[in-house]
Amino acid sequence: MQRILAIAWLTWKAAVRFKLFLVIAVLLIAAVVGLPLVIKDDGTAQGFTQIILTYTLSAITALLGLSTLWLACGTLARDIEECQIQIVATKPIARWQIWVGKWLGIVSLNAALLAISGVCVFGLLQWRATKLPPAEQKILREQVLVARGSAREVVNAAELDAEAEQVLQERLKSSPVDQVDVPEVRQQIREQVKAAQQVVPPSYQRVWYIDLGFAKNYLAGKPLQLRVKFNASQRSTSGTFLANWWIGVPGNTKFVRLFPMSLAPNTFHEFEIPPDMFDANGVLTITFENKNDDALLFPLDDGLTVLYPQGGFAANFARGLGIIFCWMALLAALGLAAASLLSFPVATFFALAMLVVVFSSSSLADSVGSGSVAAGNSETGQAGHSIADVVLIPAFKGVLAVVSLVKNFSPIDALSSGRSITWEEFGLAFAQIVLLLGGIFALIGIFLFSRRELATAQGTQ
Amino acid sequence: MSVRGLTKVFKDFWNRPKARAVDNVDFEVRKGEVFGLLGPNGSGKSTTVKLLLGLLNPTKGHIEVFGHSPRHVPTKARIGYLPEESYLYRYLNSRETLDFFGNLFHLNKADRDNRAEQLLEMVGLGKTQTRAVGEFSKGMQRRIGLAQALINDPDLVILDEPTAGLDPIGCREVKDLIIALARRGKTVVLSSHLLSDVEDVCDRVVIYYGGKIQAAGTLKDLLTTPDTLRITTPVLPRETLEKVLAAIRQDITTGEVRVDNPTQNLESYFLDVVNKARAANETSGAQSGARVAEYLRGGVGDKPATDKVLEKLSLPPATQPPVEAKSAAQPAASRVDDKKLEALAQASQPAPPPAKPASAPETKPVDLSKANERLSSLLGGKK
Repeated sequence: MQRILAIAWLTWKAAVRFKLFLVIAVLLIAAVVGLPLVIKDDGTAQGFTQIILTYTLSAITALLGLSTLWLACGTLARDIEECQIQIVATKPIARWQIWVGKWLGIVSLNAALLAISGVCVFGLLQWRATKLPPAEQKILREQVLVARGSAREVVNAAELDAEAEQVLQERLKSSPVDQVDVPEVRQQIREQVKAAQQVVPPSYQRVWYIDLGFAKNYLAGKPLQLRVKFNASQRSTSGTFLANWWIGVPGNTKFVRLFPMSLAPNTFHEFEIPPDMFDANGVLTITFENKNDDALLFPLDDGLTVLYPQGGFAANFARGLGIIFCWMALLAALGLAAASLLSFPVATFFALAMLVVVFSSSSLADSVGSGSVAAGNSETGQAGHSIADVVLIPAFKGVLAVVSLVKNFSPIDALSSGRSITWEEFGLAFAQIVLLLGGIFALIGIFLFSRRELATAQGTQ
Repeated sequence: MSVRGLTKVFKDFWNRPKARAVDNVDFEVRKGEVFGLLGPNGSGKSTTVKLLLGLLNPTKGHIEVFGHSPRHVPTKARIGYLPEESYLYRYLNSRETLDFFGNLFHLNKADRDNRAEQLLEMVGLGKTQTRAVGEFSKGMQRRIGLAQALINDPDLVILDEPTAGLDPIGCREVKDLIIALARRGKTVVLSSHLLSDVEDVCDRVVIYYGGKIQAAGTLKDLLTTPDTLRITTPVLPRETLEKVLAAIRQDITTGEVRVDNPTQNLESYFLDVVNKARAANETSGAQSGARVAEYLRGGVGDKPATDKVLEKLSLPPATQPPVEAKSAAQPAASRVDDKKLEALAQASQPAPPPAKPASAPETKPVDLSKANERLSSLLGGKK
């Protein structure tokens, strides 16, 4: 361990002596303090939090992410290019210990920088909160600067697929299509089936059954929040739509009709519902009635969410930073793995390219969804088709499966909306991002580094 | 250390052979010997060193160091390595550099501090401990590089061009150190293209050219010319000299007899001048360290300052250590002519002090023995 820590210490020394630590710390603090000054909030508790948390944490993640990649690629690749590794590797230290020591140094550096910027964000948040109007401060304390658990309707994707397949087979019997078009037809039918669950036509009702699970045991007497978002097929003249809500089941649970609301589409709304509206099993029944002339669509994933108090903000904030830290640890492993084989500029380019792939995963998802990398004809409705689909679509699916291990966690969104990040979620993030993906990169990197000839470079210093 | 059929071929991106840097090389290095890899630039010396250290993988052949592969990690605890360039972390100061490498050898803090202190003193950087290595001159970087190679008190020291960039004092100190290490039973592998470095300290050498070993053996075997003889004496009266020459001429029917004053080599002269200047001046650069670190002397306590290697090595011929003996002043060749002979015989002083013969001839066993005793005493009595 002494050897690994010596290498980690070396990374710290380099960061401090080259003033990298100082520069990044100043940039982070400038982003934390400066961004809220530049971008004005709307004076509401949510708007205020959006500015402070979303922008600052996003800026911190971006800055730290880029610096981590740069440092990870540089610390190993430059040691090889400038030949210092030729002395280190002749000492009684295994190659894997050098690799792990470098990783540990970068990760601990990130932990320190993240802690500094996290404390700044937290302090700024508390200080700026005192400047809000009293009513908004109350909302802030009760709804935003809290850790709220969330519950949604369970969407059974398998059932959705089965239903779509059944409809597809029936339609194929009545009106056969070319084999190449079957995936596109299947996708369209799946969207229709999905839409049937999401869309509430005019004068129709939609009922959600939301299981609060174990949380029902400590929610007695506590008001809950509904977080809703819908899309409209057309724009209304007033810009809003009437929403009637019933909570509970007559004769079974407490039952209440909320005051009719006028809500704008395409944005999140939060409102309180009375306490103790769920049944003995912890199932909360919510009914929406569409009294408008247009159909409204509640997305299955975030159309309606029940939020309930679960813990304090400080611990939630720390767990959120913990997940960001997991991302940094992964980026450090990615950068080091690239530098284990490639030169500094090429390793940096490679690592950045990997990031681009992650950020463009929605495009990959579109291709996987349509079953082809080729664009379809929007006028004729004909699906795209490419000979490369045989290889690319399965590859894209694999990439998406890997990327989803990282992107499934959204600590910034959770913190800015006051949603709880549980210890389980944090543990899962650590296991998936650091242990699994980071471990894979570490194994690849250590394997490459162990096999690499370290004395092929001539010193460039 | 055993090397058998060692071959290294560098290949290009397409795996096509680009250069055959080392070609079917065989040699062995025995415990306690100073072994030289000699050759011109690009002859394969440094590649061989890097293969010995596991920094390159051999294309063919077999290497054993202390009975293990060069990649065997525990074996590396017994090796010290000074690369051809000072590949040190430029942002660390000399103290931190030694502390870092001490950590890699799993030394505890007390040992690291103690050894760093002694090594920095030894290499003459005791007064520049807090300066970043990147600010050092090339010679100072070589010195700290040498110090890091010795932090673990290695059994095998591999030095690649150890005197490159060093001033004559530094070169001499490095050579003294090599001899000191050898006397403690350490094995030293020295790679150099500087003939005097190798000649001064090595027991055996291999001479590389084009990646192949062209010659191998002890220096004595390689350099002795058995059909000639050299006699060195104090200045003799003309009559005695003529008698001697007459006696010699009775037996010599062919060839020539040469008589001349031996000249001191430039290195010895330079060291003498600097020693005198040092007594009167301070310098902000590297000091002449010269005191071999205590732990490298086998744990014997500090010797007085007057025991410095450099000073000892500048003593009169009878006390010269082998390094002086090997780099002995070479008598300039000249024919015997009467005028010169007369001048030589009449000289009341053989040479001014700097030109005083700095060493005894290599073939004079009594002088070597005395020199060995002297160095042994200097190094704490360890052999």
